[in-house]
Amino acid sequence: MMDNLAVFLQIIFWGLYAGCIYILLATGLNLIFGVMKIVNFAHGEFLMIGAYITATVFLLTGINPYLIILLSMLALIAIGAVVERLCFRPILGTGKLNEIFLSIGLIYIFQNGAAMIWGDAWQSVKSPYDGISIPVGPLNVPLDYIIIIGFTAVILIVLWLFLKRTRIGMEMRATSQNRKGAMLVGINVERIDIISFGLGCALAAAAGTLWVVSGQVFNPYMGSIPAVKAFAIIILGGLGSIPGAIIGGLLMGIAENGAAYLFGGIWKDAVSFIILIVVLVVRPTGLFGEKGD
Amino acid sequence: MKYPVLFIAALLIMAALIAGCTQPAASQQTTSQGVIKVGVIASLTGPASNVGTSMWQSAQVAADKINADGGVTLKDGTKAKLQLIVGDDESTQQGGQKAATKLITDDKVDILVGGYSSAVTSSYEQTIAEYKIPYIVTGASSPIITHRTDIDTSYIFHNCPTTDTYGQYTTSFIDQVVRPAINKKFNFSADRPLRLALIYQDTAFGKGVQSAVNNTITANKLNIQLVSQQSFKMGESDFRTPLTAIKAANPDVVYLAAFPNEGAPLITQARKDIGLNSIFLNVENNDNAQFYKDLGQYGEGAIIESRFSPYIAPVGAVATAQSSFKNAYFARFGTYPDMMGASTSDGVFIAAQAIGNAGTTDKTAVRQALVSLKMPQVIEPMKDQTIAFSPDYRESGFDLWMEQLAFNQTLGETRPSIVWPDNLKTTDFVLPSWYTAGSA
Repeated sequence: MMDNLAVFLQIIFWGLYAGCIYILLATGLNLIFGVMKIVNFAHGEFLMIGAYITATVFLLTGINPYLIILLSMLALIAIGAVVERLCFRPILGTGKLNEIFLSIGLIYIFQNGAAMIWGDAWQSVKSPYDGISIPVGPLNVPLDYIIIIGFTAVILIVLWLFLKRTRIGMEMRATSQNRKGAMLVGINVERIDIISFGLGCALAAAAGTLWVVSGQVFNPYMGSIPAVKAFAIIILGGLGSIPGAIIGGLLMGIAENGAAYLFGGIWKDAVSFIILIVVLVVRPTGLFGEKGD
Repeated sequence: MKYPVLFIAALLIMAALIAGCTQPAASQQTTSQGVIKVGVIASLTGPASNVGTSMWQSAQVAADKINADGGVTLKDGTKAKLQLIVGDDESTQQGGQKAATKLITDDKVDILVGGYSSAVTSSYEQTIAEYKIPYIVTGASSPIITHRTDIDTSYIFHNCPTTDTYGQYTTSFIDQVVRPAINKKFNFSADRPLRLALIYQDTAFGKGVQSAVNNTITANKLNIQLVSQQSFKMGESDFRTPLTAIKAANPDVVYLAAFPNEGAPLITQARKDIGLNSIFLNVENNDNAQFYKDLGQYGEGAIIESRFSPYIAPVGAVATAQSSFKNAYFARFGTYPDMMGASTSDGVFIAAQAIGNAGTTDKTAVRQALVSLKMPQVIEPMKDQTIAFSPDYRESGFDLWMEQLAFNQTLGETRPSIVWPDNLKTTDFVLPSWYTAGSA
């Protein structure tokens, strides 16, 4: 009985870890969608770039990779701002198909660019805490995963404080709620767009860093599947809803690992979309979405 | 609601595009006379790109050697050089179909060599059957490649051990070497069944290994108990949940049917995250330099079934040939070829020999030459030191061995030694000090 409980808790724990990556990716995507209402399928590529920046800086300098998360996020804020300014702003409001095909084009550009710079072989790096485990209840959990969960929580708390307590955060929320209204009260929505896009990319970069330090392999094509899942999560949680992205990400991570344990690995990806379909049938606006989103 | 609907539609488009997206297959068109066009199907992109790159580069080393030695003599006495044209299967079935079709219809190759993933290779066998082009498969190890009856496979020749062959071989090694070693070390009774866990890629390749292990245990009444069988999708990078299930089953050893980009993180996660201090047995495609590098210290004690290694060679006839091949490869690419690369290099030599024997590039004549082929082994050790295809399923026979990895502190990686069979072994199989046996 105790063994079964330990296995159950272990599966939940792996789900929490996977959920952390999904939450950061989906929250960033939701932030961008909430403010700009654009569809960016290349969001997973920002995770990939964040992963490569972390690995490259770590291998070159030996700096603790958890500290590189800040550098990775700053770099992606800059990259995101450039992408928003050069690619998405010119087509803003011209139709969803333009956004979809633009982002698909960006996928190829980022993937091939990364392959040219870093090669297309799978890579992995070792965390400085590799091999260190700590007891958590009946589990013996590697320290890295505790840190990853902690980092995710801290990032989300800082994001929440930023959105609730700062002027820019309030302007972002206002723009998200009513873009025209925000413009009428003097908010520079183009400035808010660029900040939102940069922040969304930074969250993807954080997910990329945590992906790398967890010891998972990565290559230039790694971002596509997580991006598709991130889209499923924000639909599941409710478009534009940050709490929805958090709950959706956790739900997805735990469901995937539970399905892999109970039904086999091939159901890992499928279960995400089964849940999505069920939620949309029962509650078409998603778990935390509101009518009119 | 309009956005969710739009998003779902977009997701479907996206998924289809990702699945079907291609990079143009790198190819070299030619209209010159006096060349034999050899199409090489390899995974240059996608999850299997590491192995695929080694296959393509090894084919180039082989063609260089053949061309430097004068090329292939045809019936009319003229010499023809080999010209390789690569088709990137992108590690996907759609990519494989496009690569094969392009090589056959656009590039008009005379013969095909390569193929890695069984699932990918089997997806374009219909095209091979339709155009009746000789194809020497050097990587896809599922027996369905030449055993299937729904299409004509008579132009397909299998120059790699099948999952049946090496699954049976590895299971025999577990029974004859690993089980007695565990019983001896832990003072278990001789009739204690070995607890084997299997984790396999959910494809024709992985299922082939699963089937071979199960059949070998049943057919030979081996004292092995399969305590857990877990699957994962091709290209997976997070194995923690199936490994948790395996650990809960308390196995003595774990047999992986995985590609190198899956096997290395799988073993690392098992040792590091799950605390599964077991012996991990790997399929031959993992005898790959990147695999050793990615495994690092966690490869200690692991086993690889093999017929070519970047780091060792068996004593005997193939040692010099393997060394020459590795040196030529290293001189050109700055790294070492893997086992699938060696297999593909042999495939190019077989293609050249068959066309030389036929004296023409006529497909029917070349196929017939392959049927009756008997040529000396090149790089890989073959049964009776001869490359020949069986009359039933056109499969060649190999001499296999088992390697055990030991950590080299200086290199920061493991290196292999042959531990089985007795006539090839350079050291004995050992259970590492940290090894923990399973329990019922």
